[in-house]
Amino acid sequence: MAALPRRIIKETQRLMQEPVPGISAVPDDSNARYFHVIVTGPEDSPFEGGLFKLELFLPEDYPMSAPKVRFITKIYHPNIDRLGRICLDILKDKWSPALQIRTVLLSIQALLSAPNPDDPLANDVAELWKVNESEAIRNAREWTRRYAMDN
Amino acid sequence: MSLNESVQEELEVLEAILMDDITISYDEKNRPEIVKTTIFPSTADEVDKQYVCVTLEVNLPETYPDCEPSVQLKNPRGLDESTINNIQKAIKDKCMEFLGQPVIYELIELIRESLTESNLPTCQCAVCLYGFSEGDIFTKTTCFHYFHSYCLANHLVITKRLFQEEQDKLPAWQKSVKEFQASCPVCRESISCDVEELKSALPPKDLESAQHFQVTSDLKKLQEDMRQLFIYQKNKGGIIDIEAEENKLLLITAGDGDSVEVS
Repeated sequence: MAALPRRIIKETQRLMQEPVPGISAVPDDSNARYFHVIVTGPEDSPFEGGLFKLELFLPEDYPMSAPKVRFITKIYHPNIDRLGRICLDILKDKWSPALQIRTVLLSIQALLSAPNPDDPLANDVAELWKVNESEAIRNAREWTRRYAMDN
Repeated sequence: MSLNESVQEELEVLEAILMDDITISYDEKNRPEIVKTTIFPSTADEVDKQYVCVTLEVNLPETYPDCEPSVQLKNPRGLDESTINNIQKAIKDKCMEFLGQPVIYELIELIRESLTESNLPTCQCAVCLYGFSEGDIFTKTTCFHYFHSYCLANHLVITKRLFQEEQDKLPAWQKSVKEFQASCPVCRESISCDVEELKSALPPKDLESAQHFQVTSDLKKLQEDMRQLFIYQKNKGGIIDIEAEENKLLLITAGDGDSVEVS
């Protein structure tokens, strides 16, 4: 494998030295472009108290092209599908090299605080979120408790 | 000479030297209150070689120059916080030194000297996250953001290629009528650059001395915590099983047209 770009090394060091509150991202032993991530569910959201595992991969072109990010822990959210794929513009056409691993993960955490059922990826979840928000929030809370809590 | 007259004289001299580059605002009693001027490094009038600038705002108390004016630096461009802090400290010293005497021109000269010394953006390049070293070739966008030419060229070449690849995937009727438009990585403002010229720049100095990635003991500990959480969540059925999810097919039954999900 080609030498790891210094930008990735710099980002990794900063993630270790000045971690973002509520987010932890650790590179894999065998592949420094692959990160194990934990995002904590934001306060006052149905995901509060949850520890959500994600995987983040920096493609060859990074930072010119966006990191690939996916939820590993099950989550009930209108913009995240059953495979854990995330619908977020900065991961697609709104990517910019001025964004970083930390800003991407902060955006994902913000998405948990502000679900957007009008731009759905998980259609059944989005539908319920629109017609019966309180039931959808109950489901999200139940999934968080069942799958993402660390006792 | 009264206090007021000495201030008046100082300002007249400033206006004579700086002409349109200085603005003086007066209060309702027609007393000069705020003096404002934007300062650039001295580059023998080569405007395109001025990479940094800052606006000096001097607030004159009624008792000036017997007491020090309050000085603010606004809209710094291409300057990082420590450079600004250093200039601010020097301003403070200069004001004390010149207590009782006109100081504004001294301040302007002091700032201009500092800018000329560091006429190199002290901010980071948002693409590689490294600074600008002596000899690095860099580009200032029209929106006043700085990139190593090498980094900006990479950004432009790859984003254009990705745009084209996305377009090629679309059916003809969905293709965008718009051409590719390059944008500033920091503020998304449209930019136009000569990519060929940028491409000829060498990589930034800081990038050349590559440093290896090392797994520290702290990192090992974090990796282990992650692994434990994964195992814990897996045991509770909380981990997405990609294969199982992908195998959940939608089966259309021939008879009634209802769809049934099977695992």
